Amino acid sequence: MTSSRGALAPASPPPAIDRSLADRLAAIVGDKRVLFRPSELLTYASDALPSYHKQPGLAVFPGTRDEVVAVVRELARSNVPFVPRGAGTGLSGGALADGAVLVGLNRLTRVIAVDPENLTATVEPGVVNAALSRAVAPHGLHYAPDPSSQAACTIGGNVAENAGGPHCLKYGVTTNHILAITALLPNGEIVSLGSASGETDGYDMVGCFVGSEGCFGIALDITVRLTRNPEAVRTILADFLSLDAAARAVTSIVATGIIPAALEMIDQATIRAVEASIYAAGYPTDAAAALLIEVDGADAGLERDVATIESICNSSGARTVRVARDEAERARLWQGRKKAFGAMGRISSHLVVQDAVVPRTKLPEVLDKVRRIGEDLRLRVANVFHAGDGNLHPNIAYDANDPDESARVQTAMHAIMRACVDAGGTITGEHGIGIDKLQYMDLIFSPDSLAAMCSLRDVFDPDRRSNPGKVVPMHSCREWHGARSARQDAAKGPPVA
Amino acid sequence: MTTAVSLSAEAIADRVRDAQTRGARLRIAGAGTWLDAGRPVGSSEELSLAAHTGITEYTPGDLTLTARAGTTLREIRDAVSPHGQWLALDPFGSDEGTLGATIATASAGPLATRFGTPRDLALGLEFVSGRGATVRGGGRVVKNVAGFDLTRLLTGSWGTLGVITEATVRLHARPEADVTLAVSPSDDRIDVGGVRAALKRWPFVPLACEVVNDSLGRELGLGGEAVVFRLGGNSESVAEQRRAIAELAGGPAREVDPSVWRSLRAADDDATLVLRVSRAPAEVSAAWADATALTAPFASARVSASPARGIVRCATQAVGASIEQYASTLAGLRSRIVAERAPVHLWNAPPLARAADPLQSRIRDAFDPQRILNPGILGERAVS
Repeated sequence: MTSSRGALAPASPPPAIDRSLADRLAAIVGDKRVLFRPSELLTYASDALPSYHKQPGLAVFPGTRDEVVAVVRELARSNVPFVPRGAGTGLSGGALADGAVLVGLNRLTRVIAVDPENLTATVEPGVVNAALSRAVAPHGLHYAPDPSSQAACTIGGNVAENAGGPHCLKYGVTTNHILAITALLPNGEIVSLGSASGETDGYDMVGCFVGSEGCFGIALDITVRLTRNPEAVRTILADFLSLDAAARAVTSIVATGIIPAALEMIDQATIRAVEASIYAAGYPTDAAAALLIEVDGADAGLERDVATIESICNSSGARTVRVARDEAERARLWQGRKKAFGAMGRISSHLVVQDAVVPRTKLPEVLDKVRRIGEDLRLRVANVFHAGDGNLHPNIAYDANDPDESARVQTAMHAIMRACVDAGGTITGEHGIGIDKLQYMDLIFSPDSLAAMCSLRDVFDPDRRSNPGKVVPMHSCREWHGARSARQDAAKGPPVA
Repeated sequence: MTTAVSLSAEAIADRVRDAQTRGARLRIAGAGTWLDAGRPVGSSEELSLAAHTGITEYTPGDLTLTARAGTTLREIRDAVSPHGQWLALDPFGSDEGTLGATIATASAGPLATRFGTPRDLALGLEFVSGRGATVRGGGRVVKNVAGFDLTRLLTGSWGTLGVITEATVRLHARPEADVTLAVSPSDDRIDVGGVRAALKRWPFVPLACEVVNDSLGRELGLGGEAVVFRLGGNSESVAEQRRAIAELAGGPAREVDPSVWRSLRAADDDATLVLRVSRAPAEVSAAWADATALTAPFASARVSASPARGIVRCATQAVGASIEQYASTLAGLRSRIVAERAPVHLWNAPPLARAADPLQSRIRDAFDPQRILNPGILGERAVS
């Protein structure tokens, strides 16, 4: 779509965000819900990725749907760029509002309706993922996508990022669980996407909106598919003396036809960090890697699946294989996995989490490359990831105040990305592009493909005011306005924290 | 004019650019088995991808497969079966249909009960947009959120945004046991809503569960109205599911030949009118009633329901004056109606005739501003 680029000329720069805009927004949401002072805005200068600090020009926190609509319409009238933000748990810098207006949606926490008969719920965007599952638990239901940040992250944020999680191996990622969205476009127009019954006869507008990282507008309400709680669950911990053996076990398990609810790998560095923390789960600290495997479903036949998995782990070289005896042990095993990133805090002051996907059969090869990259650059690379999906999360604990170490971290991140792409993989499995991955988009997409994405964005946001500077690199969209950070970053090369 | 493209995606892009230059309109075709579906196309030229075939990447351990758009489902089945795998898509028609058409039309059959629809199994696409640009969306791995989701946008877009030239799909390992059972009602007629409610309580998810009406049941050799289950899993699980089936469907279960699924998918090949009637799953009884009302004048109408999905499909050989009756009945229904195949003047009658959605029109403009590809399909007034 190269020929379309002429139409993507940069728009005129937005007017400065000033006190009068704050006053107009305060008239909608109240004085206390508009933050203007630099000291107040500092809280919102980062999301969960510590490599970037970009302060918003202003932050506004509407409390109702009507207020969100009024705020966005005021921003449209004022031609001011904005960035929707949920809990800010994103790991790609996607919620940073560099000089733009940050629209915080975490006050919109109503579960609007639960329909247990049709297994759906309609929620506001600020509903916390785990809170939704708690809200529908009395019906024997839950919301299946379970990012590790589920205790804090919001459904709106999950929709924006097409979030995944351990149980997405069997149950699918966010996009497989969203039926309908009422979306507020950046120009203030409200549109209905999808249908609660799941049957539509036009384009898959929900599929298109999910994962658009806030560049297409704001989800005002979201109708999700709920999942019945399984009759039975078995959680297995298998530990191995080599990463390679653990990776082979992963491929063999998936090949049997059993689709585990989750199939996670935790390497030794991560195990040791977890076991030294308050999240200690009883993982063997001398193992090279452990697999956390869960199967669920009907009671009948489940023990057979467990036996098959145990047998595969043993024949792949597992040292020990154990099945959680009860719910308490199961919860403890999972807590270790879900809090692994937090536990890394014991090692160093900062942590970067990479997110890439490789074909399952390439896991041993890529993990070996990742290990060598870490050794060559004298970095402590730890791995904890969704092995069943081939979704790697190499993470590096480091000191962001040490420029030399920070530079080596960035070099390692590039090398890891290149290794994953060379193996036939992709640059993000669940964390999104945001700002951090912009530099890698050219590795996997041609100029024509990126231009097609720009054209799609223009359908929803022709002025490119919603989350400007994210997802598609600027040289593809010429999206320079409202994105000072990316412009500066492009000029000075890869970011160094 | 028909051109079977056998060269490359570049050749397809050349063809689209050529059409753009000449102001020509292209009707995109796969195997050509379902050309009358999805609203009449106003075009004198056909762009056939029937010769654009071949599996380009398949590593069994990855459970993914990449193939050119004209590759038939049969070819894929034959390639992956020896490895104990399958592509769990069974659109109505036959396995002679192509991968590209299956994804472009988002057609889903009985297996959608367990595995979802093409949007759940398509991982990445290459397509030629109406601007003649070769575009890739998604990737070749099972999880990917890089960039805007062009794969889902193109899935079900009926070739109006781009000509799909290649697709990567997710495969599944075949279950250890795969059994087909039929249950015929012992006394009264089948309670479709009751089947759905029972499925909802059941701890298992069948691979497929379809309710068929008397006419279709007879054609399938089931003797009449029936519920047909396809059960999968390990042998212990399937044994337990078999035991529970009779209770679920309200009658004794008998094992039937799995070829019943192939027959079910092929049953409406000669139908002139195929409609999907849907509601929220809990209201599937009402959807079934609507479908029954629609087909009442036709003794041979074939009706089947996917109770878990709330979708009822009805096929008839409606012709002539009966169409008017259809149009008036359709207009009075509360169910959502999606037509797969219909005579031209029914496309132009409410509720099948709809104004194009502005947002969707803008998307179409972005990808195919000159409306070169499949003009007439999706939301636009049918061409008589």
